[in-house]
Amino acid sequence: MTGSAESLTGCTEPPAPCAGRRGVAFLIPVAIVVALVAGLAGEATGVERRFTIAFANLTEEPGVLLEGTGFTGREVRESFALAARAYPVDLVFYDNHNDAHRALANAEDAIARKVDLYIQYFRDSAVNAEIARKLRGADIPVLAVNYPVPGAPLYTADNSAAGRVGGEALGRFGSGAWKGQPVVAVLIGPLGAQADRIPERAQGVVEGLKSHLPTATVTRIDTRGDPAQVATLLGRFLAANPGRKILVAAMDDTTALAAKSVLEASGRLADGAIVSHGVDRSIHGGMSDHKEIDPSNRGSIVIGSVAFYLDRYGYDVLPLALQLLRGEPVPPRTATHHKLITAANVFIEYPPYDMQ
Amino acid sequence: MRFKGLLAAVLLVFASASVALAQSDCTKIVPPSPWGPNDETGATNRVTPAVTKAAAAEIQEGKVVPMSWILKDGIPLFGTRFTKTILTATSLAAGGAFGENELTYMEDTWLSQSHVGTHLDGMGHIGRKDCYFNQIAMGKYINQNYITKLGLEHLKSFATRGVLVDAVRVFQAAGKLKSNPACRKPCLDKGTVITAADIQAGLKMYNVTLREGDIVVVHTGWGDLFDQFPAQNATFNSGEPGIGKDAAKWLISQKVVAVGADQWAVEVIPGEDPKEAFIVHNLLITDNGIHILENVRTDLIAEEAARTHRGTFFFNMTVPRAYGLTGNFVGIDGIR
Repeated sequence: MTGSAESLTGCTEPPAPCAGRRGVAFLIPVAIVVALVAGLAGEATGVERRFTIAFANLTEEPGVLLEGTGFTGREVRESFALAARAYPVDLVFYDNHNDAHRALANAEDAIARKVDLYIQYFRDSAVNAEIARKLRGADIPVLAVNYPVPGAPLYTADNSAAGRVGGEALGRFGSGAWKGQPVVAVLIGPLGAQADRIPERAQGVVEGLKSHLPTATVTRIDTRGDPAQVATLLGRFLAANPGRKILVAAMDDTTALAAKSVLEASGRLADGAIVSHGVDRSIHGGMSDHKEIDPSNRGSIVIGSVAFYLDRYGYDVLPLALQLLRGEPVPPRTATHHKLITAANVFIEYPPYDMQ
Repeated sequence: MRFKGLLAAVLLVFASASVALAQSDCTKIVPPSPWGPNDETGATNRVTPAVTKAAAAEIQEGKVVPMSWILKDGIPLFGTRFTKTILTATSLAAGGAFGENELTYMEDTWLSQSHVGTHLDGMGHIGRKDCYFNQIAMGKYINQNYITKLGLEHLKSFATRGVLVDAVRVFQAAGKLKSNPACRKPCLDKGTVITAADIQAGLKMYNVTLREGDIVVVHTGWGDLFDQFPAQNATFNSGEPGIGKDAAKWLISQKVVAVGADQWAVEVIPGEDPKEAFIVHNLLITDNGIHILENVRTDLIAEEAARTHRGTFFFNMTVPRAYGLTGNFVGIDGIR
């Protein structure tokens, strides 16, 4: 097996196509003629042609979280499947398994399948460059997700912008509700996680916060990717800062919920306000879930979380792919439109479908 | 000072009340009813004596096909909905019988939300902001117990022609059926969008042209999960195949009375646009006064249609017209 691919039409495991391979060679010239005629007829009748688009996901290993959020590769993949319903698109899914060899094999398989476009979501720049070269050789256009592929338009999270949105929300709250009171700010989470670009997110938070509270002191608490550390580290910080108001910028939703628990256990809920990043399902849900960000929980000290929308990547990326396939201009970089999700807008942004 | 304080409190109450009652300009949000500014009935206005008489021609053998599920403990319920009966059987106790004929009796208390089991969505069920069917600003017409406009008491008859669209067969014929492993018989999987073209293909399959006043019932196969209650309740409620926006718009253009299906919302879930909530409900009910029928039992009528190559029937539905309800549990039979 060269990779793990699955198409929405039920074809699985490359390189064998659905119908099998034996005895098809003589059909190829016929197929070309039929395809040309069908293509011309399609143009003449205004019937839009269908495209085969491959999406090579970063990893779909269960439990592996992406981009410093609580989203998994499965959610990213499902967003493509759902978004594709609205387009003349057949998807072929690959899982890069966070592995360079697998990523290269997947691209080679897609070339063999003659897909119309390849969407690459992989971190390694050298591998991405090699894949770009191979796909260019096969005349297959590429779109990159989150990590550049040479020559390909990029769709990406904007950690700096997201951080600024979160920082501004915290700063606004602090400068309004706690005006004149001693306020300190804490950045908490896996602050050193370069691969997930958390340092950019943290820097954005600081910039946003300082735009409202220019003199606020900012303490950094690095959990090194272990949310269990939040209790110890934040607990220690709270004990060292009695009588102060605490603005907590959590880098992800798991950390935010842990931080709230620590404030609660310390009897300091009234002293804290938290803004998070991600908006995964751990922090919001349906009508019956009553998660932390919920219209019925407007008094929560979790002011909100900045949306990263990994569960909607397909809805953003597939239109770009179609623009590219139709020869329309595509900007070299398109960023996620990060937005603060609060109790007031969570059901607008994420409509529940378990309403009573 | 005390007076000023009192005045301030009174003003605050008024200010709060005005916020709570803030109304939208519904003329900008919802279209007017084609049946006039006072209409609270909606699409059952289309069921005229001529429509009912024409539908009666569907009764050829007198065969009655059940199209509603038994309401029973354990069936899948949407969200936090509940339905529960409590039996009163005290007269069975010794000495509890009445008279020399020793009459005994039993009665029930039915504690239930109205949108359970096979049920009808009424005109007062779904709005945009506070604006409901026929531009009614519903905020003015609600109290603790019921709605005082658009309640089920305004409905007219549903005695019309029913038309089956067998989406399972349509998708099978098109070679695009992707079933769910939990379904014992072929079904469309959740998230599958049924388009206007699919509906039209389903009508063509049985040589049917829609008429004004018809009720369209879509068989997706998803109802098989309802039938497996409670084992498949979680899967049943996790999403569903259903009509998309363009199918809804096409059905609206055909001037139907209601659209039903064998799942819990008629429309595809997850929806086509993740930022829209139950948009087909808005299109059908709020904007066009067309009812939605949920959890319709369609397997038997689908089998009957496939066997006889006839997709139409007389639609016989009982709707208890309790005052001010937004919907109700219904009994449906297809009569052939």
